[in-house]
Formats: sequence, C-alpha cells, structure tokens
Amino acid sequence: MPAEHRYLSARVARNEDARLLTGRALFVDDVQLPGMLHVAFVRSEHAHGRITNVDVSAAKRHTGVHAVYTAADLGSFQKPGPVLVTPPPIPNLIFNGCTQLPLAQDKVRHVGEAIAMVVADSRYVAEDAVREVVVDIDPIDAVVDLEKGLAAGAPLIHEHLESNVAAHVVQRKGNYVSARTKADTIVKRRFLYDRGVSAPIENRAVVVEWNDRSEEMTIWDTTQAPIPIRNGLARMLGLLESQVNVIAPFVGGGFGPKIMMFYPEELLLPWAAMRLKRPLKWTEDRQENFYATTQERGQVHDAEMALTRDGRILGVHDVFLFDTGAYDPYGLTIPINSQCTLLGPYDIANYESEFTAVFTNKTIVTPVRGAGRQHGVFVSERLLDLAARELGIDRVEIRKRNLIGPDKFPVNHEIMFQDSAPLIYDSGNYLPTLEQAADIIGYETFIRQEQPARRAEGRYLGVGVVCYVEGTGIGPYEGARVTIEPSGKVRCATGVGTQGQGHFTVFAQLVADALGVDVEGVKVVTGDTREFHWGTGTFASRGAVVAGSACHAAAMAVREKVLILAASLLSVTKEDLELSGGRVYVKSAPERGFSLGELSGKANPLRGAVRPGTEPGLESTAYFGPDRGSTASGVHAMVVEVDPETAMVEIKRYVVVHDCGTIINPMLVEGQIHGGVAHGIGNAFYEQLVYDEQGQLLNASFMDYLMPTATDVPPIETAHRETPSPYNPVGLKGVGEAGCIPTGALFAQAVEDALAGSGVEITEIPLSPNRLFEIIEAAKT
Amino acid sequence: MILSGTFTFEGPRSRVWEILQDPAVLAKALPGTKTLTKVGEDKYQGVMKVSVGPVNAAEFAMSVELKDKVEPEKFSLVIDGKGGVGFTKGTASIALEEQPGPVTVMTYTSDVQVGGKIAAVGQRLLESVGKMMTRQALDALNKELKSRL
Amino acid sequence: MSGRIAINLTVNGVRHEREVEPRLLLSDFIRQELGLTGTHVGCEHGVCGACTILFDGEAVRACIMLAVQADGHELQTVESLAGPAGELNPLQAAFRQTHGLQCGFCTPGFLMTLTAFLRDHPQPSDEALRDALSSNLCRCTGYHNIFEAAKLASRAPLP
Repeated sequence: MPAEHRYLSARVARNEDARLLTGRALFVDDVQLPGMLHVAFVRSEHAHGRITNVDVSAAKRHTGVHAVYTAADLGSFQKPGPVLVTPPPIPNLIFNGCTQLPLAQDKVRHVGEAIAMVVADSRYVAEDAVREVVVDIDPIDAVVDLEKGLAAGAPLIHEHLESNVAAHVVQRKGNYVSARTKADTIVKRRFLYDRGVSAPIENRAVVVEWNDRSEEMTIWDTTQAPIPIRNGLARMLGLLESQVNVIAPFVGGGFGPKIMMFYPEELLLPWAAMRLKRPLKWTEDRQENFYATTQERGQVHDAEMALTRDGRILGVHDVFLFDTGAYDPYGLTIPINSQCTLLGPYDIANYESEFTAVFTNKTIVTPVRGAGRQHGVFVSERLLDLAARELGIDRVEIRKRNLIGPDKFPVNHEIMFQDSAPLIYDSGNYLPTLEQAADIIGYETFIRQEQPARRAEGRYLGVGVVCYVEGTGIGPYEGARVTIEPSGKVRCATGVGTQGQGHFTVFAQLVADALGVDVEGVKVVTGDTREFHWGTGTFASRGAVVAGSACHAAAMAVREKVLILAASLLSVTKEDLELSGGRVYVKSAPERGFSLGELSGKANPLRGAVRPGTEPGLESTAYFGPDRGSTASGVHAMVVEVDPETAMVEIKRYVVVHDCGTIINPMLVEGQIHGGVAHGIGNAFYEQLVYDEQGQLLNASFMDYLMPTATDVPPIETAHRETPSPYNPVGLKGVGEAGCIPTGALFAQAVEDALAGSGVEITEIPLSPNRLFEIIEAAKT
Repeated sequence: MILSGTFTFEGPRSRVWEILQDPAVLAKALPGTKTLTKVGEDKYQGVMKVSVGPVNAAEFAMSVELKDKVEPEKFSLVIDGKGGVGFTKGTASIALEEQPGPVTVMTYTSDVQVGGKIAAVGQRLLESVGKMMTRQALDALNKELKSRL
Repeated sequence: MSGRIAINLTVNGVRHEREVEPRLLLSDFIRQELGLTGTHVGCEHGVCGACTILFDGEAVRACIMLAVQADGHELQTVESLAGPAGELNPLQAAFRQTHGLQCGFCTPGFLMTLTAFLRDHPQPSDEALRDALSSNLCRCTGYHNIFEAAKLASRAPLP
C-alpha cells in the first residue's frame, strides 16, 4: 500500500458534526412537502385473536380524513413479506418461514400488529380517526412462555403448522458424548438471558412522494438498508428499480431493527401514495416503537461443560429455546450467532448445540446490537466461572488455560456462521488481551488485598473478567464511487446507510490517505440510491470493513488514474510521482506537477478524443466482497460494589481491551465501545420487556422501560490491540457491537464475586435491583 | 389484575340486594359512569370515563351481565369494556352475608384483564385505581342504602 | 373546544403570531409551524429530553407543553446557538472536539440543557455535571464523551 498514512489511526474530528450540532442535519421527520398528508395506524390491542369485523365507516366520515385502508383494500399487494435471510445449509435444519402481511387479516398475532391505515390532514386528525375505527376481535389465549408454547395443547399461532416450532437446528463439532466420558467435572445449569428494544432516540419514520407526472417515487426512510428497500419496493409496486429512489438521510440511531425490511409502514405508504397522488408521512411514536418495531428477547439454555481437573474444556453441550416472536422474517441469524459465539476464544474440540425457535404472540424478533452473541457468551463464561469455583482454579487462570494460541490461525470451527460459511477465526491474539485487561483492572491486587480488606469493613466488592470473540465484517459486498472534481474536492459515494457511526469521516480518512488530500476535502455520501445503488446495508458490524474497503479500493483506482495521466503529461514514470497536499508532482522536482482539480479538468477534455479503454475524468467505482467475516475479540473487566441490603450495584471501574484489527479513527472506535457498554449495562441491569400472560406489554414507555442515564454508566477505560484481518487490504474488523456483547456475563461474574460465600449464583439476565434482591434472599434459605 | 376484599353495608341484606340490582343507583355510585341502562334480563350497558395515570378521561363502552343469581346471597358478573385506549374483560363474584345489626358483609373477588394503551402506560397504577374506584363505589352505595332506611 | 387560539411569541429573537389548535404540542408547533426542525421528538412523554428548549431561559420539554402555553413568552432552540455564518459556539465546538455526538439526534436536547445549566453553574463539580446530564437520554455515546464535552465547555470562557 503506497499511499500516505496521515489519517489511518488518527483521531480526526468528524466532518458531519457541524450540521448535527446546529440542527441543520435532515432526519426523516424533518421532511416537509407541499400537500403532504399524515398517516396513523389502527393496531391490535390483543396479542392473539380472530378478527371478526373491522368497521371504518365512522373514521372515513371524520373531517380531514382522506382515506382509510384495511386488508380488503390491498388486493394483490396483500402478500406475506419475504424471508430476508435464508437459513444456512445446515443438515437436518427445520425452518418454518412465516412472515407478516402488510395489514392483519383473519388473525392478529401480537399486540400492535397493524390492522388499518388512516390518512388525514394531520397526525392529530389521523389519531382521532383511528379511535373511531371499530375492531372486533375474538381473543385466543396467547403464547407467551416458550416452554408452554411448545407443550401439547398450546394455542397454535400459525394454524397451518402442527406446533409453534419455528425452527430446529443442531450443530456439532467433534464428539461431545465421547468427550464427556473423559471429564473429571461436569458443570450443568439452566440459563436465562433476556434482551429488549433497541430504543434509538429517533423512532422510525417514512415519507413518500410519488411524482405522477415523471412516474418516479422518492422515499425517505429511517432504514439501515436503502438499496434492498428500493429493489424490493420497486418489484412489489411493479416499477423499475430506477423509478424508485430511497434516501436514508441522517438516521438517529439504528442498532439493528431499522434494517428489518418491508415493515408494513414501508410498504403501505408507497402503495397509498400512488393511489392518493399526495405525499405521505408516517412517524412512529415511542409507544408504537415498543410494538411495531422489531426487538430482541430471550433464550432459555440448558447447558453443560465437561472439563478435566485442571480446567481444560473437553466439550460443551447446549440445548436452548429461542423466542422469535409472531413471525420469523429474519431467519435464524440470532440463534446461530448464539451457537457460534458461545465458543469464544477457547479451544473447544467437542461441541453440540441444539436450538428450537418458538413462535410467540409478541413483536417480531430481529437482531439488536449483538444479535444473539450475548446469549452465547453468557452461557460459556458462566459455565467457566462455575467450573473454576468447583475445581478451585482462579477465574482468569482457567480462561488462560483454554485460550486458542496465536499460532493456530485461521481456526476452522466447522459449524456454520450466520453468513452461511463455516465459522473461521481469521486472526487474533487472545492471551495478551486477557493479561492486559487483568493488569489494568488490577485483578491480582484486588482479589488478594483490596477485596478482603473491604469485606472486613462490611463492604461487598467484586471483580469480573470475561472474554469474547465476535464475527464481524461479513459479505456479501459493498461498493463505492470516488470522483475528484475540478475544484479539487473529492466525492465518495457508497450504498450503506449511516446512523451515527461516523462514515462521513472514516470513509473520508481512507480516501484522503489514498489520494493525499485533506480529510475535510472529501465529501462522503451514503444511504441514497440515486447516488449509489449496489450493496446491502449497515448491519453485523460490517460498515467500515466492507464499505470502507470498497471506498479504499475505489480511491486507489482513482489514484492509479491520477498517476497514469500525470505521468503521461509530465513525461515521467508513475514511480517518479508523489500524491500529497492535494497535488501530484515529481518527487525530485516538486514544482513540476498539478493540483488534483487541475488534473481532473485535463482528464475531461473539451477537445480531442477519449481513447478506447479509458474513461473521462478521475473517477472509479469499486466493489469489495470478503470471502468471509473477520473476527474481532476483546476482554471486559469490571469492579462493582453491591449493597447486600438494597441489592443496588455500583460500578466502580469498567475496562475494555479490544482488538478490532487496524483502526481508522480511535476516537470513533472508543465511541462505539462506550455506546455498546452503556447498552450492555442497560441489558444487564435495567432493561426488560414485561409481558403479562395474555401478551400485553406492560411497560411500553420510557417511564417504565428503564434506559441507562449518565449516572448509570461509569467512565470506561479502553485499550486497543490490533491483529489485522487478512481478508481486506487495510486489515479492518468491525467494532459496532463489541461493547455490549460480554456485559451481561461480566455483571453476573462480578456481582457473584462480590457476594461470594453467600451462596448466590447468577444464571439470568437482566438483574435489576428487584431481581437481585430476590436472588439474594432466596440464597439465604 | 385481581381485586378482592370485604365491605360492610350498614343495612339488611334484602335492601343491599335491591340497590345492587338498580341501574339508576349503580350509575350514580360507580365513579366515572356516564350512563348505565338495563337492556335485558340481567344485562346492562353503559359508558364509563376512567382516568389512569397519564391516560385521562378514557371512555369505555361497557356491557355487564349478571349470572348465577341466588337471591339474596350471591351473584356473579361478566364485564366487557371497549374504548379508544384499550379494553377490559373480566369476571367478579359477590357474596352477601347478613350479620347482627343488621349489617351485611359483602365479599367480592374479581379478575379483570386490561389491554391496549391503558395497560401499556398505566400498569403500575391499575391496581390502585381499581381499588380506589371500588372503594368509592361501595361507600356511595352504602350512603344510598342508609338514606333509604 | 376546537376553535383556534391566537398566540404571540418570540423564538430565537424573532416574533411570531399564529393561530393554533389548543391541543397542538409545543414541539410540533416549533417543528411544523415554524419549520425549526433542530428540536427533535424522541418520546412525547417528557423522559428522553431530545425536545429540550429554553423557555424564558429555563430548560423545558417541548413535547409535554402546549403551543398555547408559549403565548407571550421567549423561546430559544438549538438554531440560536451558532453564529451568523454557522460558526459553532464554544459548547458546540467542545462536543465536536470530544466526539460527544454520534447520530446527533439527542444532541440538540443536550445542548439546550447544558446551555441553561452551565450558565447557572459555570464551574460545576463532576458529580453535579453528571447529575445534570442524567436528565437526557442518549443511546449512542454512553455519555462518556458528552460529559467530557460539558467539562471542556465549562472551563471555556462564556460567550
């Protein structure tokens, strides 16, 4: 790689901040169009039931209402949505794909399912009219508990199936049954791991403008995947892909659910806009977000680990249930992530993992930051902790004894990962990461001196250290187009969307280095299908890795064009030239050269021909598709103090040592880690979706769904290590989800350590003061 | 949501039974009742306005059916309510026992399910609002009873 | 009562006269009527703070106020902070320097909360500052860098 490295690994302030700080950045709800009408939805109040009647007559007569649509109005548009992720080719896999309809018909399967759509002059009027729609539903008992949902006689959510089984998958490596016979100790427990909503501060929104004269549609959508949305919608509406433009402008946080595609609202607004020939807007309110936007929920694991007496893992066997919600359009990404991430950085030769995905009468489950990795990490880290205690081996020591050595890469775990390729760890160096984390948190000193000293004072402090490996940066591919304009400024367009990750800066850094220009001079455009229309989207910690690599490749191709043209004009060879400071010049005679803007003018001649095999201008498009994902890893450590009377937990210190390969911008990486850890703290201690036995969500607001605030998240100490990925030229790995993956396991270990000797064993997440209190009390008896 | 308890009416059981079957009296006693009319043998329909926490003055169209009547000892109720902010369904059973005075001790148990918006944001308050409304209604009924004696 | 009500108010130094429905939320009035979309709506029940504006100098949540309550009052939104050519004020510049924003959706709310807080407590203790920040929710940053931005701004000379 010949280019400058001025910006690689530099703490560059962000290009996009000025617009965001001054309130000028455009979010979807900011879009105002002349003649725009507003949409509100009639949503099911029952979790399970048969729709016997929907009476919209009063709503239609309401002043200011332009239309009310039900399933009956949709005709052939009323089709189940696609299965977005085909399950990987695992032998004997069972998958029952049942996807959502745009508007519920015959049956409702979760509270909040859309039944009718009201279009009116304002959102206020639309909501008034929503109240006038009469919906009669004959309730059916709801399926809320996973085991009860599988029991004989449980109400059937999808009546063409024989049960509420959505999927059944077994993955095996080695031979656990035989390995078990050689074990000196077997640790077996039931683990419960729950999650919650992604809760970005911006709810979802869709604005659609159908231009009936040019027959073109423009959609502003808070989506993480504008290109697939464009392609799918065009197909469903009978339009050319090029007739539909999807723009994901600034998006106020994604975290996963904004990549769920073909939400009813995304389908119905375009459909209605073509009929009403008026621009339409729908903005979700926070309560709707709890029902109508996808979320992640719980798994129930019965797991065991077989070990030798010196703590070497012989094998793991895990059987679990996964709550997929009322429909399963996202396939099996989450539970397969759980299966794979359980292996961690450890050498586990024998592994059997079996899961059953269960339909429930709750909102659809799709990945939320971490996407099922949390559950796997919790199981293996807890089993190791419990084994350590049984064997009398230190917790950090037992981990060291099982780490995969640095000379073993690439490591092929044989089982399938979410990208339908075998789970292969490309690179990593786990022992130094673990040692560094233990060192920074002062593990040895803490357990030998500080902890006993505080205990003697009647204070309960504990330390936790947990490890994880995270698959990131998966394919299929992304693309980018880089253009040097006559002004000398550079434009870089790519298809992914941006929800705060800093793409406008990190991609600019890669391009600026390749072309020798200032990072502020590179304008990045993302999330607009008019600018770039090949690619998938932002998910699975892949933005920087895949789209970043494409930006790098496109910029390097432009660099090559610059060198070729300049060499020809200056009568030198490419090797004689340098790109720096926005110029290309002869190394030995710097005054001989051109500014890049000047050169771009020469590349676009007003006279003369452009020779065959060349293109005008200094522009290139490149694509990048890795063979497989690259694996990031890390260790989190924490010191907590627990008040045994109130069960309040105070985090004294939180340390993250992290390896995400080559770092483009350390400041942004730290930001991702901070945000992930905060989310993880929420998951571990504060956040939980509470449903009653009839599937009613009882805490659908921030009053009762507790989000961590500034006083709940401690300062986070971070250290970086780098084992570059061999799968892309810059050596990048993903980092978006890392912060929140091991947090639950870490809480459990640290709190248990603080209460050591009390008999408290933590096998569930979230804790919350209430739950922890109950656990503490139960251990006393 | 399970609400149960006892209440002592200051009067004979036969008079208590009378009031409990009188829609005009019930309409005045139950907090938030706008209308309550008898529409058939042991069937009533009405409109109630309820406030629970942030959900203010939510209107519910209620239908109530009396069942298993054993005059003047006991009866049960089936309740169905629907409104713009949610629904409620449930059953209640009422038993009356006369004791020296004469006073009448009423024992009630009810199991009411609440769904929709009102359940999602008012959850913490539902039980206390339910208890409060029950208390107010029973006090008002007792007052009416005493005025008739 | 659905008749429109006349209101007069000053927003970012500019006087406005409008007729509004009594039930129109102040947040919707600012965003839709006045086109000042920098104030964002996150929850509409007064918890997240993304809609924080200054109301006669006090930080308030526009989503749980009605436009009619603003009649005769002076409002300031995030659009009032930067200079005439868009120059970031010291608080905004501090956010940029410390990477105190990621998606930027909650940011206007934090800026207005801090504008009032730092004006009244120019040199706050770490604890007081963290406490002040706990009134606004952020899902992206984990608050660490927002805290650093506020600290940095609190040491800077007031504009």
